[in-house]
Amino acid sequence: MSPRSLLPLLAGLAVLTLTACVPVQHASARGEHRDDFGTPVGNRTIQRGGDLVMGLSNEPDKLDPTTSSSLYTRYVMTTICEKLYDIDDTSNVVPQLATALPAVSPDGLTVTIPVRTGIVFADGTPFDAPAVATSLRRHFELKTSQRKSEMGPISRIDAPDKSHVVLHYKQPFAPITAALADRAGMIMSPAAIAEEGDDFGDHPVCVGPFKFVKRVPQTEIDVERDPLYYDAKDVHLDTITYRIMTDANIRAANLRSGDIQVADTISPQDVDALAQDPDLKVLQAPSLGYQSVTFNTGNVDGVGKPTKHIDKPLANDPRIRLAFSLALDRQTLVDTVFNNWFDPACSPIAPKTPYSSPASDACPPFDPVKSRQLLKEAGVPIPFPISLQVTNTQDQLRYAQALQASVAEGGFAVQIVPVEYSTLLDVQKRGTFDALMLGWSGRIDPDANTARFLSTGSGGNYGGFSSSTLDNLLTAATRTIDPKQRAALYGQAVQLIQQQNPIVYTYRLRNLTVQSTRVTGIQTYADAVVRLGKAAFVGSKEG
Amino acid sequence: MGRYLLHRLWQSALTLVLASIVVFIGVRALPGDPATAMAGEEADPAAIAAVRAQLGLDDPLPVQYFKFVGHALTGDFGKSVRTGTPVREMIGATLPVTMQLAVFAMLVAVLIGVLAGVVAAVFRGRWPEWGANGFSLFALSVPTFWLGILAVLYLSVQLRWFPASGYVSPFDQPLRGIYYLTLPAVILGLTHAAVVQRQTRSSMVETLTADFVRTARAKGLGRAAVIFRYGLRNSLIVVTTIVGLQLGGLIAGAVVTERIFSLPGIGKLTLDSVFTRDYPVIQAVVLVITAAYIVINLLVDFLYTVIDPRLRVSGRTR
Repeated sequence: MSPRSLLPLLAGLAVLTLTACVPVQHASARGEHRDDFGTPVGNRTIQRGGDLVMGLSNEPDKLDPTTSSSLYTRYVMTTICEKLYDIDDTSNVVPQLATALPAVSPDGLTVTIPVRTGIVFADGTPFDAPAVATSLRRHFELKTSQRKSEMGPISRIDAPDKSHVVLHYKQPFAPITAALADRAGMIMSPAAIAEEGDDFGDHPVCVGPFKFVKRVPQTEIDVERDPLYYDAKDVHLDTITYRIMTDANIRAANLRSGDIQVADTISPQDVDALAQDPDLKVLQAPSLGYQSVTFNTGNVDGVGKPTKHIDKPLANDPRIRLAFSLALDRQTLVDTVFNNWFDPACSPIAPKTPYSSPASDACPPFDPVKSRQLLKEAGVPIPFPISLQVTNTQDQLRYAQALQASVAEGGFAVQIVPVEYSTLLDVQKRGTFDALMLGWSGRIDPDANTARFLSTGSGGNYGGFSSSTLDNLLTAATRTIDPKQRAALYGQAVQLIQQQNPIVYTYRLRNLTVQSTRVTGIQTYADAVVRLGKAAFVGSKEG
Repeated sequence: MGRYLLHRLWQSALTLVLASIVVFIGVRALPGDPATAMAGEEADPAAIAAVRAQLGLDDPLPVQYFKFVGHALTGDFGKSVRTGTPVREMIGATLPVTMQLAVFAMLVAVLIGVLAGVVAAVFRGRWPEWGANGFSLFALSVPTFWLGILAVLYLSVQLRWFPASGYVSPFDQPLRGIYYLTLPAVILGLTHAAVVQRQTRSSMVETLTADFVRTARAKGLGRAAVIFRYGLRNSLIVVTTIVGLQLGGLIAGAVVTERIFSLPGIGKLTLDSVFTRDYPVIQAVVLVITAAYIVINLLVDFLYTVIDPRLRVSGRTR
């Protein structure tokens, strides 16, 4: 290569650098990012067949509904493994393999689910209520099951006839419908379970528009159209390839080069540039989860162990934590750090969901003066030092730095300690932190977004928070079947959380998915899962 | 010669044992618990405990080590904590990709490096030499990851000449396979081309100014004959040695290149496994790479003893 042949390369670099410096024009002003969940194919002219390639931001773990614990497994499973229930664009639960919402007995102890009949699994075996019962029972029988607690205090699972499954409970358990709209509700072929046993995830067989073909670890997962699928006429693609691309920049580059047609979890740093590309389209859905700062108020011997007194003002004095929450300029932070693609958050209940209420949507105002005043009342030195552990990813570090500046005004001196993700999970579990920043992807039912992290002794209560009032509220909420009453209870819980602030909620991300305009029918909702099952290549436009 | 080889073999075995201990301890010294890392943010404590027991992480360390070595000797590296795939399969799938990339990159390095080296030596003090030296300086100083990202942005995204990612086995579809590997191999090969260029140049300069060459020229041997018959042949000896030594470095470089181009090689496997604390995979991969490195070194040493007599002969003529 001579110096001359380098010229175009250098020129290209110059152009890229220059374009990177041009101030980004926002397609919409602050707060106006409009939800776009994607649209079904409908009457559009489409091309039959083709291979769709999706860039997956993380590698799924085992493709097994019982043992899986990775969010990304759901992306792949959604095309090969339908669930009893699904959610729609309003985060309401709708039937998928069930034929209607469950009928709950007046005492709340019996849950009857009507299921489809006359359809088959990808291996040709019939799908019916006994098959559903076998699948659900596996969640309790397998040692490594991650589903046990999600399904609640079940005493027995029956299939009285071909089209009904009955769950018998020891106590009423409202979150079950939502659990069945998640992995617990993915129904596995009993024949495959019998044959593969613990290794079901190596060759998963379910009911779905596509069936599993092969997996190359750390590289890709291939699925192909299932001709036995009950709604096969609405399945247009031949195959889907999920290619694992962990780096956000690389996913963005591949979208632009046309090597992949869809990619999930696009960084707010990249999305503006991608949105301007006429060949690409941004899908966005608000998240059911949240990002937060967790304070260690009692986790001394590790999570799950009895909590202990921590002799530090930050752990003992709720005034200091309230001051921290008041010193957070949440709106400005998301606007500056995430180019206003994300939304501020003040509670574990996502707004505009069936369980949100004015009480859960309420946000403490940004008030640095009051923050300093509270610190003075608490009798601690100002600036008050806090060591904050953060994952060492670009977006998280940028947010932490902006947060540091924001709370400084309110009298805090935050020291940022960047930690690698796996290590931070460990730190969180052991309780070797004062404050740490991590997020939760969110679940449809608010129980999984609250009780798991805040009720006394829970396996996810990393901060070691303990309040009998909150425990009672959250327990009552799981045993209440009526959604309106539940919403009211969660509203009360949020008020209590905002007084005690064991967790300070900071922002809620939006699930940013970018797709090529050559494809249509891709959909994504608040559960972040990108649904490709009914997608197709656009017909009229050249390929 | 036989004794020398036996000695080297014994040394290699010892190195491998030491490496296995270092790897084993090193992996466990990583902060973070594999069971938790696997379960991630959605960890269920009971399930984590079950995974831990399944992995044998409850055993004392020496027991774990001997189990690991015992199984490894039979080629059984266990299953990935994360995906449940046998580690042997994962290595079997990724190692060929890295080897193809490394060989291709080495070809690129040798072709470009030798050519640039010859040019620099023959046109000493004139602009072709500055060009060739400038190239090697550039290739040596610019980090591979930056060059890789630049190549993706410019050659794949802007011009769409090459795919930005992906892999097709050259054994299934030779042309497409080579097409997919070209960009990563060139990027990875450039740094090594620079090293080859420098070695070729200095070795050729030395040869071309040697007495025996002057004698040859005085006897009326043509310029081209001198360059190719004496200069190039001599420098190729040097290049062979360097290629061997650099293959190890190529594997390390492949980690970065494979990540940028999403190539399913062993480098990407290593990196991803470290991030997810996939103990069995990290252990096996590092051990396999170490073994590969040791074997390459053995081969280079062996080649050296083959090449050595010739070197001594040419040394005597000086």
